[in-house]
Amino acid sequence: MLTKLTRWSRLKSPWILHLNTGGCNGCDIEVVAALTPRFDVERFGILLEATPRHADVIICTGPATRQMKDRLIRIYEQTPDPKFVIAVGACAMSGCVYRGAYNVIGGIDQVIPVDVYVPGCPARPDAVIDGVVKLLSKL
Amino acid sequence: MNDQILIEKAKESLKDKVLEITNPAPRRLFMKVAVGNLLEAVNWLKKEMGFSHLSTISGVDLGQSFEILYHFANNFCSFTLRTEISRENPLLPSICALIPGAILYERELQEMFGITVQNIPDPRPLLLPDNWPAGNYPLRKDWKYERPAEVIPGGKK
Amino acid sequence: MNFQIPIGPQHPALKEPIGLRVVVEGEIIRDADLRLGYNHRGIEKLAESKTWIQNIYLEERICGICSHSHTTCYVQGVEKLMEIQPPKRGLYIRTLVAELERIHSHLLWLGVAGHEAGFDSFFMYVWRDREIVMDILETISGNRVHYANNTIGGVRRDLDELQVKHILDSLEILRKRSEFYKNLGTKEPSFVARLAGVGYLSKEDAITLCAVGPTLRASGVPMDVRKDDPYAVYDEVPFEVCTADTCDVLGRTVVRIKEILESYNIIEFLLKNLPAGPIAVRAPRRPKPNEVISRYEAPRGELIYYIKSNGTEKPERIKVRAPTLGNYAATIKMLKKGFIADVPLIFAAIDPCIACAERAVAIVDARTGQEKVVPMNILRQSSQKKSANKERKREVEWPL
Repeated sequence: MLTKLTRWSRLKSPWILHLNTGGCNGCDIEVVAALTPRFDVERFGILLEATPRHADVIICTGPATRQMKDRLIRIYEQTPDPKFVIAVGACAMSGCVYRGAYNVIGGIDQVIPVDVYVPGCPARPDAVIDGVVKLLSKL
Repeated sequence: MNDQILIEKAKESLKDKVLEITNPAPRRLFMKVAVGNLLEAVNWLKKEMGFSHLSTISGVDLGQSFEILYHFANNFCSFTLRTEISRENPLLPSICALIPGAILYERELQEMFGITVQNIPDPRPLLLPDNWPAGNYPLRKDWKYERPAEVIPGGKK
Repeated sequence: MNFQIPIGPQHPALKEPIGLRVVVEGEIIRDADLRLGYNHRGIEKLAESKTWIQNIYLEERICGICSHSHTTCYVQGVEKLMEIQPPKRGLYIRTLVAELERIHSHLLWLGVAGHEAGFDSFFMYVWRDREIVMDILETISGNRVHYANNTIGGVRRDLDELQVKHILDSLEILRKRSEFYKNLGTKEPSFVARLAGVGYLSKEDAITLCAVGPTLRASGVPMDVRKDDPYAVYDEVPFEVCTADTCDVLGRTVVRIKEILESYNIIEFLLKNLPAGPIAVRAPRRPKPNEVISRYEAPRGELIYYIKSNGTEKPERIKVRAPTLGNYAATIKMLKKGFIADVPLIFAAIDPCIACAERAVAIVDARTGQEKVVPMNILRQSSQKKSANKERKREVEWPL
């Protein structure tokens, strides 16, 4: 009974942490634009959180740079279970134009496990919302 | 005050310290000096010509030597000061005493090319990560990077 | 008794990672230090292994908010190297997109500043209006961010009558709303009281520390690359350089609002005088060996590119200096006189295009070495409490 209740509450209002690991900011302003009145995800109960310890879902943008690698692993470990990772944008998926640069390892899936990939350069806010909804339907 | 007047004033004040001065386009001047006369040239630019805004410092690897360019800007001209240093012994005097805003650009030169800037107030590296192996200077022409093979999770190897 | 506080790589004021370490005595900041490099991707080295046209798309992704600035500055330099001159209509369209980008970037910043000052409904209103500008950009170029409109020799997409009419109609709506914001800003005493006096940077400091952009212009120095070193069609368009005298965050807000209003006028002039003709010329594959400096006024400040070619299809050296890097020395100076509660606001005031994602701050006691993690929303609440107790002048003069 209790598990059903917690599962319903996680489905109905996931709290997200927005993390940028060294990208160009294009996907970040699209993720923030998803909160603004035109697209408005807050009516679905999705709340932008400030610290990893309160979050259910980590939304990552940007390629993984060498300097951010340890911090990324630490933030992933600080998030309590069950946690999910959404990789937004072509940079987070595979590195976009920066493949081959000396300070870029590649996409985020080289460092932490990823559940949902949202393509686009940058990904439109509609696509980000679609990605979150697809994640919730997997639960 | 236009480009011609600036060229004449440079030749008049610095005389034979000016190795070369060109004007390839309107509002663009390039002047070459030797490393020993660099501080004097910067002083002349700042105090007498009114160029106190430094846009950036670029480094170029020419193979046998490094070329360092100081880009100054003003309301009517963009003036670039050029100097050349050897590759075996790359030493450069710091201009932070005259232009405090140059500190970040000199730190970047140090770590990207391996140039030693003398009298720099703060010699820490600026952009490279903490675990970067020493002795690797990325922007030198002979430094190549090989991307290691990546692992695709759940995919073919 | 000194505390050392590391802030970052996750940060409240914008979305990129940098590490900031402040040494605090009580509430006053004594010293500050920056750790860059989280966002370093090695683009200058990568650009030497791609051709001239491929580099347009690489340089565009240096920054998402000012992507058109980077491509225009690069393409201007390469056109000088190849000694070709794009046609007038192409230059007009390039300038049009540049001014639209300036509007969208300043509106974004206004929303963030409102959010940092605790004025969340202002943030929502401004970003709703920013969507109008994003729609215009989408009809012109096909994408909301990273509109790859530039090519060597001109632009890629043309404007037709219907689009021009759509832009002019949207401008009317935006002008009415901007008047609303201007009045809201003047008559909202708590907003102005929060911003006044914070992040003071005197005129001499701004010049010696080589600050750029609105940070410099808010200290009374009228340096603007569009007037000093005109590129594209800025020598034909009448506009004014916007400055303010108060040298603090309020001055920077004023400069940005004035620039938005100037941009509306510039866009109207451009659309009314759009010449007919082709939009691009053919560019050769290889330029002669030469070097060129290209400067541009991005929304955040002066952007400078140094491009050197050696006669082949790939460049020899491209050096980029983004405007926020020029403002960092000035930021440290501003932080040294401030309070810990002002850190998000000072940082947001230079409009960093290199920002962070972490939102928690770890406070380290310098004597005992104990660590305590303080979420940033608590710091922000304490900053709002600080301004709540400040004496509020009922008739505040808006220096517009």
